[in-house]
Amino acid sequence: MSFFGFDTTLPRDRAAPSERRGIFETPDPFAEVARARAAGFQGGDDDDDEVIDFEDTYDGLGDQLDDDQDAFNDDTFGDDLGAPPVGKDFDFFGKTAQVADAIGEEQIRYSLQKPRAPPAAAVTADIAADPAVTAAAGKPKRTGYEKYSDPGYIPDLQAKSSVWGVQKKQDPTPFMMAQAQAQAQAQAQAQAQAQAQAQAQAQAQAQAQAQAQAKKMLSLEEVEAQLRRYPSALPGQVPVSLPQSMPEPAHPLQRAQMPPLPEGFAQLPPELLHAQFAKGVPPPAQLLHQPPMVPEPYPLAPHAPNMPMHLLQNANMPPQHMGPPQRQMMPPGGPRAQQQQPPPPPQNMRGNNAQLPVITNPQQLMHLSEEQRVAYLMEDAKRAKRNHKIFLLSKGNGLMTPQDKNFITRIQLQQLVAAAGNVVDSDSEAVLAEDFYYQVYSQIRGAPRQHPHQPLGHFAQTYLLQTGNRLGGHGNRRQFQNADNHMQRMQQQVQRAVEAAKAKPKNKQLIIEGSLGKISFGNAKAPKPMLNLKRPESSEGGKSFKKPQTDLSLSDRKSILTNIESVYSTLMEMEDMERTMPPPPDENDPEAIQKHMEWRQNVRSLNQKLWRELKVMEPIVPNTNTPHPFIAFLSYPKGKKAIPRIFRHIDQEQRVTILTMIVVHLDTLDVVRRAQPVPGETQPSLAVREAIDLFSQTVMPSLLGYVNEAPFNIIIGLLGLVIAQTHVQLVAKTRIGLGILTMLLSRAEIVKEADQASERDWQQWVEKFNVLFDTLEPTFADLFPSSINAGDDMYVWQFLAAVGIGASPDQQQRLVIAVKDRVMETVTYSKTLPADMASQRLGNVNLFMRAIGLDVELLG
Amino acid sequence: MADTEDAGTSSVSEPLDLVRLSLDEIVFVKLRGDRELKGRLHAYDSHCNLVLGDVEETIYVVEEDENEQETIRTIKKQEEMLFVRGDSVVLISPQA
Amino acid sequence: MENGTSTEGKDPSTFLGEIIGAPVTIKLNSGVVYKGELQSVDGYMNIALEKSEEFVNGRLTRSYGDAFIRGNNVLYISAH
Repeated sequence: MSFFGFDTTLPRDRAAPSERRGIFETPDPFAEVARARAAGFQGGDDDDDEVIDFEDTYDGLGDQLDDDQDAFNDDTFGDDLGAPPVGKDFDFFGKTAQVADAIGEEQIRYSLQKPRAPPAAAVTADIAADPAVTAAAGKPKRTGYEKYSDPGYIPDLQAKSSVWGVQKKQDPTPFMMAQAQAQAQAQAQAQAQAQAQAQAQAQAQAQAQAQAQAKKMLSLEEVEAQLRRYPSALPGQVPVSLPQSMPEPAHPLQRAQMPPLPEGFAQLPPELLHAQFAKGVPPPAQLLHQPPMVPEPYPLAPHAPNMPMHLLQNANMPPQHMGPPQRQMMPPGGPRAQQQQPPPPPQNMRGNNAQLPVITNPQQLMHLSEEQRVAYLMEDAKRAKRNHKIFLLSKGNGLMTPQDKNFITRIQLQQLVAAAGNVVDSDSEAVLAEDFYYQVYSQIRGAPRQHPHQPLGHFAQTYLLQTGNRLGGHGNRRQFQNADNHMQRMQQQVQRAVEAAKAKPKNKQLIIEGSLGKISFGNAKAPKPMLNLKRPESSEGGKSFKKPQTDLSLSDRKSILTNIESVYSTLMEMEDMERTMPPPPDENDPEAIQKHMEWRQNVRSLNQKLWRELKVMEPIVPNTNTPHPFIAFLSYPKGKKAIPRIFRHIDQEQRVTILTMIVVHLDTLDVVRRAQPVPGETQPSLAVREAIDLFSQTVMPSLLGYVNEAPFNIIIGLLGLVIAQTHVQLVAKTRIGLGILTMLLSRAEIVKEADQASERDWQQWVEKFNVLFDTLEPTFADLFPSSINAGDDMYVWQFLAAVGIGASPDQQQRLVIAVKDRVMETVTYSKTLPADMASQRLGNVNLFMRAIGLDVELLG
Repeated sequence: MADTEDAGTSSVSEPLDLVRLSLDEIVFVKLRGDRELKGRLHAYDSHCNLVLGDVEETIYVVEEDENEQETIRTIKKQEEMLFVRGDSVVLISPQA
Repeated sequence: MENGTSTEGKDPSTFLGEIIGAPVTIKLNSGVVYKGELQSVDGYMNIALEKSEEFVNGRLTRSYGDAFIRGNNVLYISAH
């Protein structure tokens, strides 16, 4: 593939390509793999069996391609060890050569005449445009990457713009040429005016035309040939395009390798030349005269001497005719940089500066006023400086092909991915496959499988793709896809980088500490703090201010909230464990059994942790204002909400402990304690009602679930605890308190009806029940919400029903007497209500009435 | 005795812990511009962006009456759910 | 600070670290003052106060059991 899409090879070189595959000729040997994978080999990642078979994927299009187009890759990308040196007889104007056989023959003739250049004289096609490449060309074998071995090498990813057909600002040539033209033309005009000698101008023009014609007659190849001959013909002569003071002997070899081109050529970027040639436009001499090329007349040389003459001569005549004046229109730095070996920069600078007075024709300068002169010199110095800068920047121009650059970009992205903590790419083999340097190294070493982990098939494939051997003559077709593949690869890399960044844990904050101090970076997740606070050690600092907080510490708000938080954390862990429960172990599989055992051990320890955090077993401190930590836990909505989840993860013993804890502290539960409406209110505050509702929805079902299975003796014990430990009358006046009592009474009734209770247990129960009945008898009527229309009173009727069922006939009678008024009231009230609400209220009453063998219907 | 329980009491080792502990609790939030919110804290982040549920917003507006006397009028609004951008937050207090 | 520790050679972080638990006065940019026990401070100067009182124009307007003050509003923190 040539830069401009046409053949730039010499016929002698045309046979070579297939044997002289450079390592980098297929710059991305892996791109094909990636492409093929993307096309449907997702499952076959790095799998030997599924390695892409080239023959399967090859579409045969490569056969139709002209391999000759790629012959110059070796010069660009490097050469194999065994390849012959390229030689210096490169074809600069290859297009012409292709177009005109005659010229080609001339060229061949010339190259045959010339003894084979020593390897050191190897040159590349864009030699005129790119000095850096020339530098590389000085070595016998080129991989294109020698630069990397130079410790002082500074990678310059800047491609030479002209090579890629994109005009870059840095490219000095067009600008300078325009300037030179402007200058020349302005000078020509000015001179003509000043001397009022039309004939001079006419003469100049005539000369120009004549020379242009002469130029036309002379083929480009001939010019080139002349130039080639020039160094040998005039070995000692200093090329005149150089400033006289240039320390010439410093680069004799380079000079010999690289003859200066005619001035006009050198000033033109190669692609411009080609473009012009293609259009049949006469070469530089006339080109320079084309007015459209002149952006604006150069303002500072109005009295310049007969410059056009020089210019034209310079453009067409052999170089030795060029005199110092040419410097005037040619900024010293750039063109020299373009056409010469790059001299060491400081030297170059010195050369420029020393040349300044010489640059300008003294004659010309004399015509200038002092001011103009100074201005001119300054301008010139500025230009020189800029050109030097451009020269420095352009040093590495054209060193890399787009593929090379893509490669580097990929490497950079890869490092980015790696730095971003890529989790995807943990596979070492994948890393190696992606590792550009590793692959290059392994190619250079030539030894297969440096890395034992790399499967042979994989390696072989990448190797073949790299060298192109397997692809034979078709190998080059890949290069047409390379750009696409590179883009794909890069997109994949970027995507992975982004994903890796996403997957990365939200690190709190990055702090880099170096010799220049500490730098901290913030991000959206963790903004950069203003201060870097050291936490005071617990032993000192701030300790003196510790509040004398003692017994409160267990149940103060924050501690309880912290407990709740840790309970939730543990709960979530346990729920997570539940999801990862291994399947029931097979008897014969010790590993599975072991796994299961470990899992159960984990669950057990989490259970213990949860239990500790619940603080159910904290000692009960009698006569204290501080609620028990577990009761305090239950006073928070999130504590209540946790109970159903907790119950799923604890055993029966723990459940009964919780139930016991609640029962013992029934009158200190927030939902009981605060359930009494403040005087003047018919019901507790909204917050309390919400708490009660929440308790009913969360804690009660869990408790009920346990109570419904609890052994009778536990029910007896619990009832005994309520009676003994709590303010029963107060408890009974609340919905939650009544609910729990109802729960216990119902369970006892069920046990009795199922005939599961032993006589002794039953006797115990009746004893306790009688105590409860006697305690509550005076307040039966007060259990109801104060007002008949205050809302739901079903829970009271439920409780009364539970009491009624278990009560003796005598107790039933007393019960009826106690609540008779409320019964009548409700019946009357229900008559004022809409039918459905009325039946609901009556239904509630009937719960109780039927429990004692009556019915509201009987009441009329 | 308190020392052994220090792990529990030093639960607020950084200020945002206070906010974290108030998750799912009713909080009072003072905002710039004489606004106050009271609602259940559903979520927060390090910028004090908040999500509040069942919020009551109180806005204090200073008004001048005919006698050029400044009176403070309060406007109350109810919101089912509110996202509060952190930069307007001045104070967050859990409502015990 | 009167707890005997030297105030020499301290940086703000050290100071803030040392006054944890102490009664402090916080003034906000808006002029509102909070007095209470300093529970904690962080690098953003967010503050957690315990048993704090709010003063607007010198008048006690509110008291909070706990209060979190967003750091960007803080003008100064003074221990007394």
